[in-house]
Formats: sequence, C-alpha cells, structure tokens
Amino acid sequence: MLAISIEALIKIALLVGGLMTGAAYFVLLERWIAAWVQDRKGPNRVGIPLTKIKLFGLGQPLADGLKFIFKEEATPRHVDKVLFTLAPISILAAALAIYAVIPFGSVLPKDGVPGVDHQINLIVAPGIDVGMIYMFALSSIAVYGVILGGWASNSKYSLLGGLRSSAQLIAYELPMGLAIVGVVLMTGSMRLEEVIGVQASTGTWFAFSQPLGFVIFVVASFAEAARLPFDLPEAEQELVGGYHTEYAGMRLIMYLIAEFLHMITASFLIAILFLGGWHFWGITGGSSTDVTWFQAIARIVVLNVKIFAIIVFFMLARWSWPRFRFDQLMSLAWKVMLPLGLVNLVAVACLVEYQPVLESKLGSLGITAAMWAIAFVAWIAAGILAPLHSDNSARKDNFVLDAERRNRGLRPGIAGPSATGPY
Amino acid sequence: MTGIDNITLIASLLLGLGLWMLLPRGSSRGKAFGLVLTTAAMGLFAYKLFPLDDLVSDAVFYVMTAVTLVSAVGAVTMRSPVYCAIWFALTLLGTAGLFFFQGAQFLGVATIVVYAGAILVTFLFVLMLCNPEGDSLYDRLSFEAGISSITGALLVGLLTWTAAATVFGDAKAVAAKPAEGPAPIAFASSYEAQGKSILTDHHVERLGMELFTRHLLAVEVAGTLLLVALVGAVAIVAHSRPADELGPATEEGRRNA
Amino acid sequence: MKPDDAQVNWVEEPKLGLTGKMYLPLIFSGLAVTTKHLFGPKMTVSFPEQRPEIGNPLIYRGVHRLNKDEQGRVKCVACFLCATACPAHCIDIIAAPSPWPDRDKYCESFTIDELRCIFCGMCEEACPVDAVELTSLFDLTGRSREEMIFDKEKLLSVYDMTKDAEPMKSRVMGASP
Repeated sequence: MLAISIEALIKIALLVGGLMTGAAYFVLLERWIAAWVQDRKGPNRVGIPLTKIKLFGLGQPLADGLKFIFKEEATPRHVDKVLFTLAPISILAAALAIYAVIPFGSVLPKDGVPGVDHQINLIVAPGIDVGMIYMFALSSIAVYGVILGGWASNSKYSLLGGLRSSAQLIAYELPMGLAIVGVVLMTGSMRLEEVIGVQASTGTWFAFSQPLGFVIFVVASFAEAARLPFDLPEAEQELVGGYHTEYAGMRLIMYLIAEFLHMITASFLIAILFLGGWHFWGITGGSSTDVTWFQAIARIVVLNVKIFAIIVFFMLARWSWPRFRFDQLMSLAWKVMLPLGLVNLVAVACLVEYQPVLESKLGSLGITAAMWAIAFVAWIAAGILAPLHSDNSARKDNFVLDAERRNRGLRPGIAGPSATGPY
Repeated sequence: MTGIDNITLIASLLLGLGLWMLLPRGSSRGKAFGLVLTTAAMGLFAYKLFPLDDLVSDAVFYVMTAVTLVSAVGAVTMRSPVYCAIWFALTLLGTAGLFFFQGAQFLGVATIVVYAGAILVTFLFVLMLCNPEGDSLYDRLSFEAGISSITGALLVGLLTWTAAATVFGDAKAVAAKPAEGPAPIAFASSYEAQGKSILTDHHVERLGMELFTRHLLAVEVAGTLLLVALVGAVAIVAHSRPADELGPATEEGRRNA
Repeated sequence: MKPDDAQVNWVEEPKLGLTGKMYLPLIFSGLAVTTKHLFGPKMTVSFPEQRPEIGNPLIYRGVHRLNKDEQGRVKCVACFLCATACPAHCIDIIAAPSPWPDRDKYCESFTIDELRCIFCGMCEEACPVDAVELTSLFDLTGRSREEMIFDKEKLLSVYDMTKDAEPMKSRVMGASP
C-alpha cells in the first residue's frame, strides 16, 4: 500500500512538474513561432539572471512567471467574488486531473527499478477501465470554469465569451465523441494504454486505418482547446479577452495555464488515439510489456516527440488560418463534422463486424484503401452539400430580395443560409 | 408501521423543520437555527446507518457523503439560481465519487458526463442570461416550502429506515419476502462464469454486454424516446417560424425560383 | 437607393471552386505560407548591438538642433514662426535685441520640451533662416523631465555633434547660405 502510494506520488510529481514547466516553455515557443512566422526574431534576451548570458531567451518563462506573481490581484467591485475565485481554480484542477488516465510512456523494464517488485506502468492511475469517458467528464467540468468566469465577471465581454464557449464546447464534444467511438470499436477497450497497445501490435496507426476519424478528431480538438481558428471564446479583436477579460494576476495565470494544458492534452490524445502513442516502427518493439531499458526510454522519447510536433502544428495553425465566424463554427460542427463522424462510425463498425470476410476479399491493404476512399468521398460530398461560405456581404440579389420583402411588409434581413441558420 | 424507531422519526422531523427554515421563504430569520437542526438530523441518520468499523474507507465514504448532502441542501436553499446550479453540480460530483468508491466506474463517470457535463451546462447557459444583481423576488423564493420539506423529510426517513432494516437484517421491520415472483431469467453466458464481482478489469465490457443483451428492449425504448423528443424539438422550432420566412429566403430557393 | 441604380457598382465575391469547398487544400496552402516564413530571413534589428540604418537622414525627424552660421553664431532671428507653427506648443523663445548688425533680434533663450514634441517637423518647415532642424538621432533618453527640456546650449551642442555627419539641410538641398 505504502509502496504504491509513493510510486503514485512520484508519478504525479513528475507529471505535474513536467506539465507546468512544459506549459511555461510552450508559452515561449508560442511567442517564438509567432515571431518567426511574422519574420521577427522573438524573445531572445532573458537568460540567466544577473549575468550577461542570454541562452536564446530561455529565461523568459521565469521572468513571465515572476511578473504574474508580482502583479496586483485586482478584483473588480462589480463581480461575484466567490465564483470569480472559484472559476479559475476549477478549470485548472479539471485540466490537471485529466492526466490521471493519460499514459506518458509505456512501462519500465521488469525488475529494472530496485526495491519494486512489480512492473511500473507510466500512467498515474493504471487500470481505470473508463479512461476515455473519464477524460470526457473532466473536459466537461472544465466548461464550468469558463462559464462561471464569464458570468461572475459581470461584464459584457466576459459574458459573451462564456456563452460562445459553452455553445462551442458542447457542439464539438459530439464529433469528438464519434471519432473516439471509432477508435474504441477498433480497440475494444476504453483504456488509452490498450489503444496504444493495439496500434503497436498491428503496426498500423489509427490515422492510417480511419483517416476520416483522424481529421474529425483533430478539428474537434482544436475547437475543444479553443485554439485558432476556433478561438471565438476569447477573440481578442472582438471580446478584449473573452471570459477572462476581468482577471489579473494569479487568477489570470491559472486560466492561461489551463488553456495551455488543454492544448497539451489535445496533443496527447491525438498522438495516443491516432498516431500510435509511443509506437514507432523498428525502435520501440511491439506491444510486449517485456522491454529493455533502451526500448522503455525510446517509447517515452517517441511519444514526447510526437506531442511536440503536434503542438508546433497547433501553433503554426494559429498564424495560418483566419478565425471562423460563429455561425460558420456552428454549422461546421452540426452540419459537416457530425455527419462525417457518423459516416466514419458506420464504416468502422462494418469493418469490425465483417473483418474476416473483408480481409479475405480485399486484403489488409485493400481495407485501408477502402477506408481512405470512403473518407475522400464523404469529405467531397460534405463540401458540396454543406458549403460553409455562406456570405452576408452586400450582394445585388440579397438587396433585391430585401426590397421585395419590405414592399410586402416583412422584416428585411440579409437573406442567405446564414440568416436562416440556427443562430 | 410499528417498526420505525425513535431515532429515525426524530431525525426526519428535525430534517423537515430544518430544511423548512433554510429554504428561501421571504424572511431570512431562523437560518442559523435551521442549519443546526439539519446538521443534527444528518448526524442522527449517520449514527443510525453506519457504525464506524474500517477507519480509512469509512472516512472516505463519510467525506463523500458529507459533500453530497451538504451540497444537496445548498442546491435547494440558495437564493441565486446560479449558485443552486453550482451546488447541484457539487452534489453530482459527490455522487460520482460514491459510485467510484463502490467500484462502479462507468456509472460515476457517466453521471458527470451526462448530468454535470451536459444538462447542468445547458441550465447554466440559460441562467447566464440572468442579471447577477437583479432581485426579482419571484426568482428567488421557494414556493410550497412547507410541502416540499415535509415530502423530503418523509422520503429520507423512509429510505433510511428501509436501508437500515435491509442492511442490518432487521427482519421485523421489513416483512420477509421470499422469492415469490417469477424467478430471474436464467442467463448463461461466458461473462457470468467469470464471477459476479463488478470490480474486475473489464467491467465496462460486462456492463455493455448486460445492457445490450438482457436489457436490450429497455435501451432501445429509451433511445427511441430520446429520438422522438429530438424530432419533436426540431418540429416545434420549424413550426414557430412563419412560412414566408422559410420559403424563398434560402439561396437555393431563390436560384430555383 | 435602387438596386438597379447605374451608379451602384455591385461587387460580387468570387465563387469558391471545388478545392475551396474542400477546405483542406486551402488549409494546406495557408500552412505552406507560414512554414515558408518560419524559416525565412528575419527583419528584426537587434538594437543596442546593431544600429538601424536610416535610409535618408535628410528626411528623418529625430532630435532637434539649432544651427550656427559660419561665424559660430546662432542662426535664429527670434521670429517666433516655429513656436507659432508648433502644434504641441513645445517651443519657448525669449527674444532680445541683436548684438550683431545683420539682424534686429536674436534668441536669448530657446527651449524645446522634447517630451511634448511630436516630431512633426513643422518648426523646420516654418523657419525662414533654416535655424532649427531635425536630425536623425532617434535614441533620445533621459533620467528626468527637466533633463528632457533642451535649452539653447544643448540644442547648439547637438549641432556640433551632428554637423559632420549631417550637413545643414539647406545647403544640401541647394538653398542660399
């Protein structure tokens, strides 16, 4: 009992320490990438304090953190004080608690660690059978932080940010869930360790075998992490700071860390569910838990490299594409992503049900090709049937229609798919 | 009913009175006294139900229960609707914790996803449009405070009494009922052979098997009901809009016209 | 306004083709642009180590200077045109009878509050004798507000400091000496 507790505590300490440092340094990376994409150099001055050593600006996160600590903890007079404080705490707690079920490596070698008689699993809570639903549950708790922060701030920008955020997060949980169900069907388990195990033993990452699910999951996790092009809850140009407009000091940094943690979580999930987790051909071995030290460390390194690459992709995406309008965001979720998710689910279900028949007829390569063909056709069909480019610019036909409506004593309005949509 | 004992009776009475005092009734007098009464009643119930034997697991259980009950009381007695919703969310978290404590991982997590994650967020979405400082009396009062506190106290008292009787084998209180009804359907399958314990590694699998074989009809009926409700909601929205607004307003409609 | 008004020029948004409706091709072309810039050359000038290059010092508007003529006298004739033209009211001149025969007045004191100055260059334009000019010194700092109020000596010393690098603009531009 004591040994297990100590083991769990060490894992938690490693994970939380790593995540906090990671979040701080990802802020630096975010600023670097923002600068490089805009042909600037980015922060490169702060190095070791009290010396002239600059170290490419690697001291910047420390300076940023200190700045936040010394900031005044301003609480506006008009806020609901209890919820105003509770909201950032809840969002950070929920964002951290997700990591109880997310593996950050594979296993350590048997008898590799002196004094431990069992094999050490690199996951804080091994053996939770409902890992993926647990993750969903906590990400839905994180919504509370946003909604409560927006409401308690008692400011119009915060309220709008909170409203947008709650609608957006609920809407994109559905396609995300559908994409995950595809993975669960293929794996037969809701444990993230087993998802990686199946991909490692077959050598086929789920991104190859169900490309449609992969694309849907990536889009939905961008939206769930509220990153551009889905950052409507805190669109600076429209809402000042969105739901954390009124926050300052440590409460603000809790929100900011939670946001970065959401992005890191999304990267973990993309890597684990669709990109094979710690598996890489020829380096990490199959799904066997009987590993050497080299394989154990290689698995950790491979997983972290994948996560790093996905995070860089997240940050590049921020500067590549413009933000969606809110009605486009909603119609993307409900009219494009949800049907595509259903298509993927049906395809995967058929594949799992008739696997022996299909394998004998098409071969395993043929099955993959069929999945890609389905993804391609479904994507084109969605693009033609549910176009997102509904515009509300001044067009002659809209104008004529408005005039007609006015003549008939009706409400004028911009007529187009966007005006008759749900928002 | 002769079997009901004095402790349960007193505790129920205290709980009813305390809750009635705590509920928002217009005047805020007697709140502290109501709190004392409710706490005392809960203590009595705890005394009635659970003797402490295993310290660690009991402590976990008591903490979870306390969180659940206190936040449940908070959920009905707060004046601000948003605070009610938050207390209710905490109640759900406590309930989920109790499920986890019993080893029912799926139930615990599903409680959070469905209730805290979806339903309450929708509530909050609506409540956010309330003015935090608006003091419309209508929104902040509890109507039928008396009836609801009596009903609640009755319910809790009866449940406690039944639970205590069942758990501790109080045969006098609960009439002994031999299996008179139809015997449970014999259901032989591989997973039953694995043992009845729910605390296995693959209990979600087992739950799924159970749901989609033995309770298939119930699952399908519930699913159909939800689908009907969904279609109904869409139908209501579509009907409430004037026909003209729907007609030529879409781009496709105009192009065809 | 009628929709068929001949003066209204209706601009239609271009219709998206199939690749546009597919989104992913456009998304990847956007990503290609950002990736190209990620590794492209950087425009940043690392300031204290690396001085920025000022394209044309003659049209740059930095710290002011008060020019001297060939005999080393201040060129200003205390006409107050610069102080009148100044939109920020940062120029303060005290005039006195000139000790020299070629003009009636000269400036006994000439101060410019560099903190109020908006560096618009109107004083330079207004000056009939090309006495006040803006140099290409841009890194103007001070430890106190008083220090940033430049008096006549300081403005003349700016001239001494910059006259070799930047000759008087009037001569360069072909004006009469």
